[in-house]
Amino acid sequence: MDRDPSAIALNNAITEINKAYPDIKNSFIFTKNGTILTGDQETDQQTINNIQQSFENLKEKAKTIGNLESFTITTKNGKLTLSNIKDMHLLLATSKNADKNHIHAITQVIIPTILKTVEALAPTQPQPQLTPPKQFIVDTLTGFFAGDSVQIDTEILRDWTKNNNDPRARVKTAITGEPNTPENIEQVKIETFGGNSTLCKVKEINDQNMKGKNMIRIPEKLCKTLEINKGDLVKVEPAS
Amino acid sequence: MTEKNTETDETENELEELQEKLQEIKDQEGIIGYILRGAKSASIDLKDPTKIIDYAVLSSTAFDASINMAEALQMGEPQKIVVESEETKLLSMNVNNHRLSIFMEKTVNHNNLYKNLK
Repeated sequence: MDRDPSAIALNNAITEINKAYPDIKNSFIFTKNGTILTGDQETDQQTINNIQQSFENLKEKAKTIGNLESFTITTKNGKLTLSNIKDMHLLLATSKNADKNHIHAITQVIIPTILKTVEALAPTQPQPQLTPPKQFIVDTLTGFFAGDSVQIDTEILRDWTKNNNDPRARVKTAITGEPNTPENIEQVKIETFGGNSTLCKVKEINDQNMKGKNMIRIPEKLCKTLEINKGDLVKVEPAS
Repeated sequence: MTEKNTETDETENELEELQEKLQEIKDQEGIIGYILRGAKSASIDLKDPTKIIDYAVLSSTAFDASINMAEALQMGEPQKIVVESEETKLLSMNVNNHRLSIFMEKTVNHNNLYKNLK
């Protein structure tokens, strides 16, 4: 199951709802693309997969009457309700005596409200990169081993590590306790003051004498493309 | 032999009664049509005949999905199945060993139809 913070919040919500309404026998939430977000402890993975498969098939065939909103099965022993909530599907299997109003409140009010709240707290789209561009002095890399990567100070690359700027990752760390593993910057965007720009691979500066001097070492060939020379200033920012 | 004939007569009478009810239902406001399928025969009455195949496939899939899901969660045999989309809904049920699916607009009260047919 998804260990995303929103999934954890949903899981807690489902657990509490199940406690409050003992008539709910099974419950789980899965996304439109089939990812199971959360579910009760009683329903095993095989059962969830079977139900999901049947539902996906039905959803496909139901296109003939429009987008599927809900699917309800009443049996001698209870009721099974599959509801479409935003981009997710909620399954609730309840006993025969379950209160209709309670079930309606759960599927139409409580869960949609929780989903909205969770979305507001932890947006599903990653936050845009917050790192402002930095200015560097150009040094040219020449020779056979110049390669096609630019070189920047290790400290600066460390500062740019993506997760340090992603609030969603921080929320996840806070909830799950899992370490926030920084992702290495592999590419940077270089912009010259003449208006030229390019994306290129980045490495740490390997020449000890160049470290801590706010320099960027750019292969000669790339310098020509960007129409820059040794000593020029360029703006550099991490690229995703 | 006589007992078997009586049983057959009863089933035929029940089926005729069901057909009559369906004719009445069909004329109600918001009813799009129905599909009644037995082991050997089927009767279909839909306002838009071009949708017969699509609706028949949906009806069959709804029955299969309900059986699979109810079985997976050990809920017993499905009695009433409702598929709802933005504007249309489908009520499916077993009546006299026949699979009945009624297509209707969302505004129609399907519970009343179910009570009338069961």
